[in-house]
Amino acid sequence: MVSEEQKESPRVRMQSNPVDNSQNMENLFSPRFKSVAAMAGWDEESILFASLIVEDTPERQFKHKKRSDLHFKTPPSTNTRRKRRDQKKSPISIPVPILNLDEEEELVMKESEKKKTEPRIAVDEENKLGGDKLAKDNPDASCSNSALPCMNKLREELSCAICLEICFEPSTTSCGHSFCKKCLRSAADKCGKKCPKCRQLIGNSRSCTVNTVLWNTIQLLFPQEVEAKKASGKKNQKEHQSSERKTNNDLISRNVRPSRVSYRDTSVQPSRVPNRGAITRVSNRDASTSRDMWNQDEEDTPLVQRLRRREALERLILSREASGRRRRGIPSQDEDTALALRLQREEFMEAFGGTQEQSGISLSSARANLRVMASRAAISIHSRGRPT
Amino acid sequence: MNSQGGISMAGRGGSSATATSSWVSPTSVSTSGKRIQREMTELNMDPPPDCSAGPKGDNLYHWISTVMGPPGTPYQGGIFFLDLTFPSDYPFKPPKVVFKTRIYHCNVDSAGNLSLDILKDSWSPALTITKVLLAIRSIFTHPDPYNPLVPGIAHMYLADRAKHDELAAEWTLRFAK
Repeated sequence: MVSEEQKESPRVRMQSNPVDNSQNMENLFSPRFKSVAAMAGWDEESILFASLIVEDTPERQFKHKKRSDLHFKTPPSTNTRRKRRDQKKSPISIPVPILNLDEEEELVMKESEKKKTEPRIAVDEENKLGGDKLAKDNPDASCSNSALPCMNKLREELSCAICLEICFEPSTTSCGHSFCKKCLRSAADKCGKKCPKCRQLIGNSRSCTVNTVLWNTIQLLFPQEVEAKKASGKKNQKEHQSSERKTNNDLISRNVRPSRVSYRDTSVQPSRVPNRGAITRVSNRDASTSRDMWNQDEEDTPLVQRLRRREALERLILSREASGRRRRGIPSQDEDTALALRLQREEFMEAFGGTQEQSGISLSSARANLRVMASRAAISIHSRGRPT
Repeated sequence: MNSQGGISMAGRGGSSATATSSWVSPTSVSTSGKRIQREMTELNMDPPPDCSAGPKGDNLYHWISTVMGPPGTPYQGGIFFLDLTFPSDYPFKPPKVVFKTRIYHCNVDSAGNLSLDILKDSWSPALTITKVLLAIRSIFTHPDPYNPLVPGIAHMYLADRAKHDELAAEWTLRFAK
């Protein structure tokens, strides 16, 4: 190949030169160019060839093409103007279109070949499928073409007699019949341990196992069906789980309600947090009664404050008691000690403060009440004994 | 559960099914519904001879079916209507089949109930409605006088076959045409 510059230069020359003047081959190239070419060591032939190649390039103008043909076909010496004109008309058969035609033909040939081979491949696949069950190990030949009669037969053969769908995780009975594992299980559960097909006694169907070969075969043959079923199964499971969770929540919320029986029956729940519902309810009740009791003393503000505090304590005790009664749970040691400490402090405060403040009948009675309650609480705590 | 008869509501069937089993119940309504639907399409594609069946209305669990009296029997030419009711845990429990057309047959009583072993103890989940209809068709040709629902007709069948056939043909003419 010749470099770009050399290709380009002769063309420029040719364009500049009038066609009539270029009778000879020599006229194509300027003497200057020839001298340069000679210096470079290019012989005329190669230059000519290079110019031809340049002219064969597709972006050529019509004029140039003609000339190129001319150059190609006419030997330089015997060229006459008339001849050249004749040849100007003749090059209808330009090499380029012929080449194109050839290419097209080749393309057509290739396509036809493809067409020929494609059906051949398809036929091969069909043969593979149609041949026998060996086709199963060919995952590419998977059942997309279910129009095949053998596929229908296979579908029939590989479907579960219980759900009438493609066996999902097939389990084979001792008598040789296969069903979905789940279907077989529920059949054994609800219809007795007999084979649904032949009524033979089947063994421990609880531990029925998946026929792996059959299952793999089915997965290879009917991937779509299997996937669909898997997806639906997952969905079902999710729904089931969510519903279960819901019922659990229901149960929990039901249990939160203070129902003695249930707490007594459901033994030993480690009690960390006191039953809040119970506390508020009990304390409300308690508060109302105690307020009634102490309504008369409300004018005496410090006393009232003390009483309020005591009331709160009482409430605490009561609630503890209530919650303790409510559930068999054993309060933790910390709670015990905290309660004892608080009671002691309260007693001390009372004893200490009692000298300063006048103690009315109502106050004494309230104190008595409190004592009784506290002792009851203490007894109940003791009776419960040490936490396990 | 089976005696509930026509369970129309999908939700009801589902809850009853899940209540009976602890694991993810395969007999949820979708399962039985799917199976019934599948049977329906199969029945439409390849119906058994002289039989037809399909849902009564929108309810997939309540079908109506017709069985033609097979030729060569006293029931020949008669069209017998049947009500089919699927339990919610179909196919693990048999469908309920009731004759709506009166018939002189030792295995079918006046209420239309029929004694067919595969619809009772011998039911298998592998049986389909097509097979049930074929079984019904076969008791037209071969009554079972040893497990009768109407002993009188069974007696007649065993003692005086000709009279039995005559009466049966008469009933067929009267009720099934």
